[in-house]
Amino acid sequence: MEPLHHFQVHKFVDFSLLGIDLSVSNSVLWMWIAAGLAFLFFTYGLRNTKQVPGRMQSLVELGYLFILDMVDDIIGKKDGRKFFPYIFSLFYFILFCNLSGLIPGSFTVTSQIIVTGTFAAIIVGFALLFGFYNHGIHYFKFFVPTGVPVLLMPLMVPIEIISFLARPVSLSVRLFANMTAGHTMLAVMFFYVVTLPIFGAWLPFGFTVVFTGVEIFIGFIQAYIFTILTCVYINDAIHLH
Amino acid sequence: MISVAHAAAEEHAKSAGMPQFEPSMFEHQIVWSVISFLILLHLLKKHVLPAINDLLDARAKKIEEDLDSAKLARKQAEKSQTDLNNQLASARQMASETMDQARVDAARHREQAVEELNAELAKKKNAALLEIEAAKKKALAEVQATVVDLTMLATEKLIAKSVTKSSASSMVEEALKEIKGSDASLH
Repeated sequence: MEPLHHFQVHKFVDFSLLGIDLSVSNSVLWMWIAAGLAFLFFTYGLRNTKQVPGRMQSLVELGYLFILDMVDDIIGKKDGRKFFPYIFSLFYFILFCNLSGLIPGSFTVTSQIIVTGTFAAIIVGFALLFGFYNHGIHYFKFFVPTGVPVLLMPLMVPIEIISFLARPVSLSVRLFANMTAGHTMLAVMFFYVVTLPIFGAWLPFGFTVVFTGVEIFIGFIQAYIFTILTCVYINDAIHLH
Repeated sequence: MISVAHAAAEEHAKSAGMPQFEPSMFEHQIVWSVISFLILLHLLKKHVLPAINDLLDARAKKIEEDLDSAKLARKQAEKSQTDLNNQLASARQMASETMDQARVDAARHREQAVEELNAELAKKKNAALLEIEAAKKKALAEVQATVVDLTMLATEKLIAKSVTKSSASSMVEEALKEIKGSDASLH
């Protein structure tokens, strides 16, 4: 019994080019599958578009407007639209990684801290650079909260700086931990289903059924939180509070 | 040699805690995460997002046009409604005018008819009166002629026979009775 076994990354093809490790592992394979499923979902929904949409087309339009409204709400129509393709792709990449991880025998890409960490680092790093690009040296005002007595500044400014530095950590750990915890729980329960005698096994089995539903919900929620926080960070880089 | 190192690393990960924290598995996941994301981004940006955008724009345009044409149709309907109402009102007015005219005409006709009838009746009355007068005159003339005849008859008889006083007076009485009789029949 090894509940963490399914988080193990195995390299199928060990390959590196110009000193960069380009090996193909189960993690990489499921990244491709998730990205492929996301693309397939949209192209299938748009295979013959109509003025009055069918079910899949409605779902695709809904998925588009959901992210568009989020970007418009948080960053604003004027500034947000140029980030929309990136945020849209980010949401669906993470969502399909989360959901494809629930397929039995698959691999959950977003349960790898290095994957979530890569995205978080790129997002926060971009937001930081974009903030300096927009505001120059004034971007440091971001760490000085308004409406706080000057006496408290020596305390507040370090807190702000720490909270800013915590952003990539919290962003990446939140998604990774949610995915890891959920899948570990499922693995433990499946282990009980297999090992317990039949009169006891129904209880963990029922739990796995319910918890798979909860995991689907968590998959959506975590993708949503990851994306909405991305919007918030980009918005902070544009509009200093 | 690399694979041997990896195998050793995997062995190590298995024995110590979470496999997610195995550093030898980091680099290729970082690289492929970025590459996979960029490929997905490119595909969505090129094939999906413009399609959905066009779709929604086309629908928005269509809805706007439909709303506009609906507004126009409504305006036209309202206009034709008012036209109809106007026509109805004018027709009603015309009808009532015609009615009034007919009433006035009828009254005039009746009056005229009554007048004509009155005139006719007066004419007839006059004619009757004239006829009566003429008849009276004629009757008087006849009476006169009868008296003359009687007188002549009586005179003849007087001349032809010798007349006694008594017979003469009886004859005059007879004659008077005749006249009276004819006079009474006249009146």
